[in-house]
Amino acid sequence: MKTLFLKDMRYRQARVVLTALGITVLISLILLLGGIMNGMRIQARQYVESTGADVWISAEGSGGAFIGFSMVVEEYMAFLNSAPGLTADSASPLVFAQARPTVRGKSTKAIVVGYKLGQLGGPKQAVDGRMFTRSNFEDYRPEDPVPYEVVVDEKMGLEIGEQITLGNEKVRVVGKAKSLMFVLDTPLLFMDVRIAQKLLLGNTPHVNMMIAKASKNEQPVRAAADLDALETIEARTLKQTLGDIIAYYVDEPMKAVQFLRVMLWLAAGILVGMITYVTMLEKTQEIGVLKAIGAANSYVMGLLLKQVVLISGVGVILGLILAYIFAAAAPIFVAIHLVESIIVACISFIVCCGSGYMAARKAITVDPMIAFRGEI
Amino acid sequence: MTAIIEGTGLTKRFGTGEATVLAVDAVDVQIEESELVMIMGDSGCGKTTLISLLGCILTPDDGELRIDGEAIDPVSEDLSVIRREKIGFVFQLFHLLPYLTALENVMVAMDIAKTNTREAESRAIELLTQVGLVDRLHHRPAQLSGGEKQRVSFARALANRPKIIFADEPTANLDSRQSDNLMHLIQELRREYQTTIAIVTHHEGLKANADRVIQMKDGRILNT
Ligand SMILES: Nc1ncnc2c1ncn2[C@@H]1O[C@H](COP(=O)(O)OP(=O)(O)O)[C@@H](O)[C@H]1O
Ligand SMILES: [Mg+2]
Repeated sequence: MKTLFLKDMRYRQARVVLTALGITVLISLILLLGGIMNGMRIQARQYVESTGADVWISAEGSGGAFIGFSMVVEEYMAFLNSAPGLTADSASPLVFAQARPTVRGKSTKAIVVGYKLGQLGGPKQAVDGRMFTRSNFEDYRPEDPVPYEVVVDEKMGLEIGEQITLGNEKVRVVGKAKSLMFVLDTPLLFMDVRIAQKLLLGNTPHVNMMIAKASKNEQPVRAAADLDALETIEARTLKQTLGDIIAYYVDEPMKAVQFLRVMLWLAAGILVGMITYVTMLEKTQEIGVLKAIGAANSYVMGLLLKQVVLISGVGVILGLILAYIFAAAAPIFVAIHLVESIIVACISFIVCCGSGYMAARKAITVDPMIAFRGEI
Repeated sequence: MTAIIEGTGLTKRFGTGEATVLAVDAVDVQIEESELVMIMGDSGCGKTTLISLLGCILTPDDGELRIDGEAIDPVSEDLSVIRREKIGFVFQLFHLLPYLTALENVMVAMDIAKTNTREAESRAIELLTQVGLVDRLHHRPAQLSGGEKQRVSFARALANRPKIIFADEPTANLDSRQSDNLMHLIQELRREYQTTIAIVTHHEGLKANADRVIQMKDGRILNT
């Protein structure tokens, strides 16, 4: 009777369904947490990669362009623009600063990116409207003739012509940029580097970092290393910068989440193990009777394992499906990798089956003599 | 007549030290082919332990056992094979699987012995018809009376054509009418299948059906 284990399961369907649902929820949580971290990693990269810069220069002791507090004086521009190893005139000033603009009366999170239009650091064109008016960076002196204009992420839902407040100033939205959210769906606000300095850096002639391209015949690693040897600046390649930013914005803060994922795995394993175990305890008499009437241990084991495998399998597959549904509906960017989720599903399946197996192994040691006794 | 089952010097102790109970004490016993034996005695005298030893559910601490002419070596042999091939059991509390119908409960015994499903089904129907439950095939144990459940148990015990059936107080949970019916059935089954049956019972009234009564006291057999 191939369906014996199914009949047993149907008899205990409430428990079977609850166990499978428990696994489903746990697995989808494990996948979602992984997807959230992936999403953060993708978002941590995408702006940095979009700039096209391959050497990132920050203040000495800052630990990297996006890591510690970094202020670099403008004077370096001239030096960098003629530095050997860098493409001539590719060095670009960049303000990259967290801000809390007031948008339609509500304080929201955003990152202000101040750069020189036409140079590295931000989009060259708007997908809607126009780019902000470019100031003359070198000639800037106290009063600024350039209007306060910003190009916003297209996904922010702002209209061209609308005003947002940054600091105490009103800034007009003149265009929309192709969406490039930073970690945790933080929108970028692109503006002229001068305006960013004025609104966020107290009108100082400093920027947070300078970015540049290595020259054609120079390895970025070498170019960065040469600059890094200087006493007042740090220089990193794109790859190092990405590593730093992912470590700083994703991996470090998400350590607890990683830990939680492992705990969820354990929870899934314990859930299946425990429920299998409790079910086995309840079935002691039945197992004893089966053994008394001649069932080999392997027969009983087969009966129990088929149930464990089916419940775990259904739970894991539903968990996978649910994770993708949740990911699509989630309020933040979640990127579940297919391959990764299949690996997670397989590991989860093995964990669940393993613990079910351990409970079953205990269960089949029942003494068949129990069949002669009334109660356990 | 040949002995289907033969125990020599069978001994079983439970517990250790001060608390040791000598449940079966050097018992010699033989049951012949087609015999209906009743094992009687006070509660705790070792009847269940004795049939468990004979039915290969328990391994003896001492003594030898032969079933159908073959010596059983409880150390190196998988006793579950002997149980499913040569022995049938009927329990006081029926012990049918609650999630299976009467038909499936009988089929399980054959499934354990790897009989194919089709064959198992037709034999199970035949057996259940024999025990008078042809109209109860698809009932679950919870929908059957005590007497009916015990009939299903007998059908299950017969399923693999055992050499001998051991029944431990099969009538203890039945009223007197159900128990009479069951004894009737047992006689009928013997006529039909020539099965050897050993029944443990308290009911003095059942003695009349037996070919032989084995009286036990304190782990020993009094007379044969
Ligand atoms: N698993 C066990 N552990 C300890 N003592 C046991 C066990 N099984 C049976 N006994 C003891 O062995 C004796 C015989 O028991 P049993 O064979 O069940 O008697 P009967 O079936 O005649 O009532 C009793 O004293 C009982 O308490
Ligand atoms: Mg007893």
